[in-house]
Amino acid sequence: MNIQYIGMALMVMLAMAGCANAPAPVEQMKLTSQAIEQAREVGATEDSSDFSLAQAKLIQAQQAMREENYKMARVLAEQAELDARLAEAKAVSGKSQAHIEELNKQIKRLRKRLGEPE
Amino acid sequence: MKGYFFAAPLVMSVALLPGCASSPAIDKTLLDAQLHFDRIKSDSNVLRSAPKDVVRAEETLNKAKQLSGYWGSDEDVRHFAYLSQRYSDIAREHASIRLQEEQATQLQLSLEHLQLQTREHELRLARERGDWLVDQLLSLGTARTERGLVMTLGDVLFSPGDTRLDPSASETVLKLAQFLRINPKREVRIEGYTDDQGDDELNQHLSKQRANAVANALSALGIDPGRLQTVGYGEDYPVASNDTTEHRARNRRVEVVFSDESGNFVPAR
Repeated sequence: MNIQYIGMALMVMLAMAGCANAPAPVEQMKLTSQAIEQAREVGATEDSSDFSLAQAKLIQAQQAMREENYKMARVLAEQAELDARLAEAKAVSGKSQAHIEELNKQIKRLRKRLGEPE
Repeated sequence: MKGYFFAAPLVMSVALLPGCASSPAIDKTLLDAQLHFDRIKSDSNVLRSAPKDVVRAEETLNKAKQLSGYWGSDEDVRHFAYLSQRYSDIAREHASIRLQEEQATQLQLSLEHLQLQTREHELRLARERGDWLVDQLLSLGTARTERGLVMTLGDVLFSPGDTRLDPSASETVLKLAQFLRINPKREVRIEGYTDDQGDDELNQHLSKQRANAVANALSALGIDPGRLQTVGYGEDYPVASNDTTEHRARNRRVEVVFSDESGNFVPAR
């Protein structure tokens, strides 16, 4: 009897929360965290402004989630996801560029060796 | 997706009063997003590398534009314009990564080609250096014989009756060591000979000692002793009759017999 009552009250509360607010962006929060993790894995660091932005916005989004400001949480999390993806792409691009420069250096060295007076 | 875009402004038109004037700040935001998108939309490389991001950049840009027609939607317009800009930037970045990868593949091929050329070049140089040294050795009294390359170290390289190498021999021995270093597969058999004066056994011993002296000098110069054989032939195999002083001097000698490039000798005498 008592338990049933509490259960019903909970359901009403949940329904009210759903009405009063946009749905909680749980999936989006997960996606954003994953995007940040992925960026970190390919070598993005706090030196990258995009990466720092992504991290800061995720923290703000988590705060908004706690405050049940779901609209704000979604906006922040969506932006942070793309900030992180951009940071990831830039990190990969930076590595590719370094690889290209290394290859060019090796090629130059060999050319010089081959071009030396025999 | 189409239905969603169609429905969104419809729903909002109920909630919000449609307006035509938007703030200059919003116009600027939209313009920025549009500029970012314009830069990628006609770039075939971007379309090829990140088609999904290009589509999303356009979808979010359109959404921002649609929302900008309504009062009180500034935050949403700004949000979608931001997303659109980000999608454009991400697409552009992916395109440049793809170009870099293609470039890296090309460079890798060039590098491998050059590495091959360098190896061939160095091999040729080593061979030339080897040939040059053979010429040098030939000028130092080495002859091509049926026993292979044979270098004769004359009597003058030893003090009479002594088994120690004369200092004047050092240049010859140095060249020999250099040649052996450049031809690591070649081995030498160092053969000592004497004239017919004196005791047979003593001569045999002396010839072996002189051969050893040359071998020791070479190993002191860093040549692996395993590549150096020594033999003492005493007064056998004279190169001249022992009738005159001059002829006897020619018989007192050390001969260095070279193996071929694979370490094979013509069998010993």
